[in-house]
Amino acid sequence: MLVARNEPDMAAIELDGLAKEYSGGVTALRGIDLDVRDGEIFGFLGPNGAGKSTTINILLDFVRPSGGSARVLGLDAQDDTQEVRRRTGVLPEGYTVYSRLTGRQHVEFVIESKDADDYADEILERVGIEDAADRKAGDYSKGMKQRLTLGMALVGDPDLLILDEPSTGLDPSGVQDVRRIVKEESDRGTTVFFSSHILSQVEAVCDRVGILRKGELVAVDTVEGLRDAAGTEARLRISVGEYEPEDVEAVRALEGVSEVQQRDGELIVSVADGSKTSVLTTLEDRGVAVNDFETEEASLEELFLSYTDEEVDA
Amino acid sequence: MSWSAVAKKDFTDALRSRAIWAISVVFILLSVVIAYVYGSFSADQLGTEEVTAEGLVFFLASNITLFVSITALVIAYKSIAGERESGSLKILLSLPHTRRDVLLGKVLGRGAVLAIPVVVALAIGAVVGSAMLGEVAAQALLALLVVSLVFTFAYVSVIVGLSAITGSTTRASMLTIGFFVLFEFLWGIVSIGIVWASNGFSLPQSTAAYPDWIFVVNQVPPSGAYTTFLYALVPGASGNAADIDAFYATPWLGAVVLLFWLVVPAALGYWRFSKADL
Repeated sequence: MLVARNEPDMAAIELDGLAKEYSGGVTALRGIDLDVRDGEIFGFLGPNGAGKSTTINILLDFVRPSGGSARVLGLDAQDDTQEVRRRTGVLPEGYTVYSRLTGRQHVEFVIESKDADDYADEILERVGIEDAADRKAGDYSKGMKQRLTLGMALVGDPDLLILDEPSTGLDPSGVQDVRRIVKEESDRGTTVFFSSHILSQVEAVCDRVGILRKGELVAVDTVEGLRDAAGTEARLRISVGEYEPEDVEAVRALEGVSEVQQRDGELIVSVADGSKTSVLTTLEDRGVAVNDFETEEASLEELFLSYTDEEVDA
Repeated sequence: MSWSAVAKKDFTDALRSRAIWAISVVFILLSVVIAYVYGSFSADQLGTEEVTAEGLVFFLASNITLFVSITALVIAYKSIAGERESGSLKILLSLPHTRRDVLLGKVLGRGAVLAIPVVVALAIGAVVGSAMLGEVAAQALLALLVVSLVFTFAYVSVIVGLSAITGSTTRASMLTIGFFVLFEFLWGIVSIGIVWASNGFSLPQSTAAYPDWIFVVNQVPPSGAYTTFLYALVPGASGNAADIDAFYATPWLGAVVLLFWLVVPAALGYWRFSKADL
């Protein structure tokens, strides 16, 4: 068997003009080209309804594309779907567990289905629900179900992990656990492809990020690359003394300043990198005391919104 | 052997359903009562020709058709449509199972669940009835067991096949109940309607004047085919195939029809399911 991860330049996921129009006439994907490299952690971002799940569903052959092609681990996602799923661990979106079966029975079913040699107890321990192993999964909380399904995705040392909105229903410690597990899997050479509509979860772990909007891929880059591409605007928080409304107007009129907010004793100025000094000097020249200031980089969250703002009422 | 993992999971899952246990207990008790009644009364009292160990087989069989058809519907109408609707199918198909494995596994898993009470009921009914009659019709009872198991899997296969056609449990329930009503309740009327239409929109003077091929039409419902198939295997039993002189007038037609129900609806369901966006 061809093992993808031994070939450095091989793409773990390769989308070529991938398009999907559902039978109702809804266009979910409008021609996506994307290469996810072998071994990387790739964050697939976009607001709800952007086409993330449709893309993932095509990778798993739940849904058939109406145009273009998808290859996973060098295999055709439609023709070789069984082999793709043998080597992939999946946390799907919108799933339900089998309410009458226990957590352990779920994991054992996956072990049997994948012909793997894992131990159910070890898997359940990794995702932190070993104490609930013999309880019916129907009685699990939403977070526990999510942990169980994540555990099921880990069975059989997959070459690729596909996680669709993995932090759904998880509390902060659950989100931390997902992050830890993603890192552990990545360290063993697994490619991780996960989708989210929440940027902060992607930011912390991903090597690269793709942003999907209305069925189109609007950006693919590293987190740093995206920051650069979105411009170098920063936020300047200035702790000031007494000032007049005219002083604020003067700052607002400066070149490179896009926004000035006033918040008890502070001015928060959105400003292009090169214009920070002129903001400070202008204030000082007008006799406003500058007690302190700090610069914040644009948060990726804002960046994300700038790419997808038409969908998000921000 | 991916379908076997699906079948095993489905079997374990369904065994934990209390409804199946309850309905099975009722069915098994009913079998005992039927066997007891058959053994306790004379032929005149029961309105049959004579009370024999073979006759017991047909008495028990009448209970099977009712139980299997209704229970198959109850336990299998959601088997695929329900998993699609709830999303548990995504767990199943995230694993290296093909859609064919899923369908096959469902038929075998749920069929096995239904086969347990059938076998238990037949065994207890046979023991009670035979003890009371003082004779054992071993070959007839074995035939009953075999034909009942074929019937059980055929019925489950029909319902699972219909369930695979749609992603909505509402539509699945309409399809399966529609099947049940058409073939188990209304078929007598359908059969007469076909004679009426083929006879220039009027009915022949008596049922004796009905065309011979109506025998084939009457074997179409799974439970009709089941009884007819039983005639082929129970020694000394003839059924109404003997009244007609045509190549198709053989109780083995029941076996052919059951095979049809075992395969065709499931194949149709698979064809739709394999092309569906989930």
